Amino acid sequence: MLTIKAKPMNERNATKADDQEWPALLARVAQHGDKDAFRKIYSYFAPRIKAYAINQGFGQHAEVLVQEVMTNVWRNADKYSESLASVSTWIFTISRNQRIDLLRKMNRTKAEVVIETEELWQIPMEDTTVRSIQNASTEKCIRESIDTLPEEQMIAVRKVYYEGKTHQEVAEELNIPLGTLKGRLRLSLKKLRVMLEATEL
Amino acid sequence: MSAHHPDDMVLLDYAAGSLSLPYALAISVHLCFCSHCRNQLKKLNSIGGVLLENTKPASLEDDAFDQLMAQLESDDTKGKTAAAVKESPSLEAKKDITNPLLAYLPAPLHNLPWQQQTREISKYDLTGIINVRGFQVALQKIAAGAKVPVHTHKGHELTVILHGGFSDELGVYHAGDFIARDGSHKHSPTALQNEDCICLTILDAPIKFTGWQRIFNPFMAWH
Repeated sequence: MLTIKAKPMNERNATKADDQEWPALLARVAQHGDKDAFRKIYSYFAPRIKAYAINQGFGQHAEVLVQEVMTNVWRNADKYSESLASVSTWIFTISRNQRIDLLRKMNRTKAEVVIETEELWQIPMEDTTVRSIQNASTEKCIRESIDTLPEEQMIAVRKVYYEGKTHQEVAEELNIPLGTLKGRLRLSLKKLRVMLEATEL
Repeated sequence: MSAHHPDDMVLLDYAAGSLSLPYALAISVHLCFCSHCRNQLKKLNSIGGVLLENTKPASLEDDAFDQLMAQLESDDTKGKTAAAVKESPSLEAKKDITNPLLAYLPAPLHNLPWQQQTREISKYDLTGIINVRGFQVALQKIAAGAKVPVHTHKGHELTVILHGGFSDELGVYHAGDFIARDGSHKHSPTALQNEDCICLTILDAPIKFTGWQRIFNPFMAWH
């Protein structure tokens, strides 16, 4: 089993997000229950998941979400597939689902047969219709172009992803018409090449 | 791949996790038919991943990691992991995306205990699986070639076709298609000739019949 000493990570690796090491670290967690590997994943992602939880209004319960997400990462490391998403995207989808799940549990008054959050927001292991090389280049493109978004578009995207608000709520908060907000979101999706130029407004 | 898709803004909210549960159900059913939207969703999820990387980290308690490890190890020794995996279908490895509804139905689509609404239209209520106030969720079965009386919608109606197809004033729809309608649309869907049409429908207000058929309203009512 590899240990921190056998394979040191320098400062740059420890903080660089698109690090090639993440899938290897997850594989070590999956195959050997490697705590050192898990600690590295934890020390990078847990503080970011906490920031996400705070933005989503979890307040003093923010760490509850962090622990739920990281528990899920530990237990499901073997279900991660590099061909489908980067590790940060995988962890984002887990965070999103756990957030929804916690909110649902808090609001549930009695035991009911209700559809599982993980069924509504499925995280599949593979999708035979999409080639992995496509995913990698899409992520790369998003990572490179997200910093080039004009501030107003960046704010709109952030609020939608990180504050769990509806478009109406975001528009009110920014004091702009709903149509303007949607316009900014659509423009940002085009810049990030999520929407094709051909897909008109 | 289906031809009618949810709007990009709806998929964006789905990826961000801010879409309401009934809408999310319609999207998740559409996704299992539609590789185009699955591909879009992947990109939208990636935005979430990149934003997570770019987030300014918040500090955690010094011993948060050790506490978590202690918890995980104690769970493991109690054998919770194995039990949890068995209890929850959600933790099973998912290869490809699957129709999320099927696990909650007592029988295959065609053998469901359908409630007859009219001679040609029947319903299987699923409101309970979402159980969100104000939303009605159901499967509808329209006999091959049958026509649903003209109606408008007070609120929004989402339809995802699971089997067969129908046509209305605005188009022709087949299995997997996602159709969103609101009060401004007046339509009378007709099932395609060759087979029964089965749809998932989600309403956030009761449908309103506009023609003389409105006398059928009590029979067609959701409750």
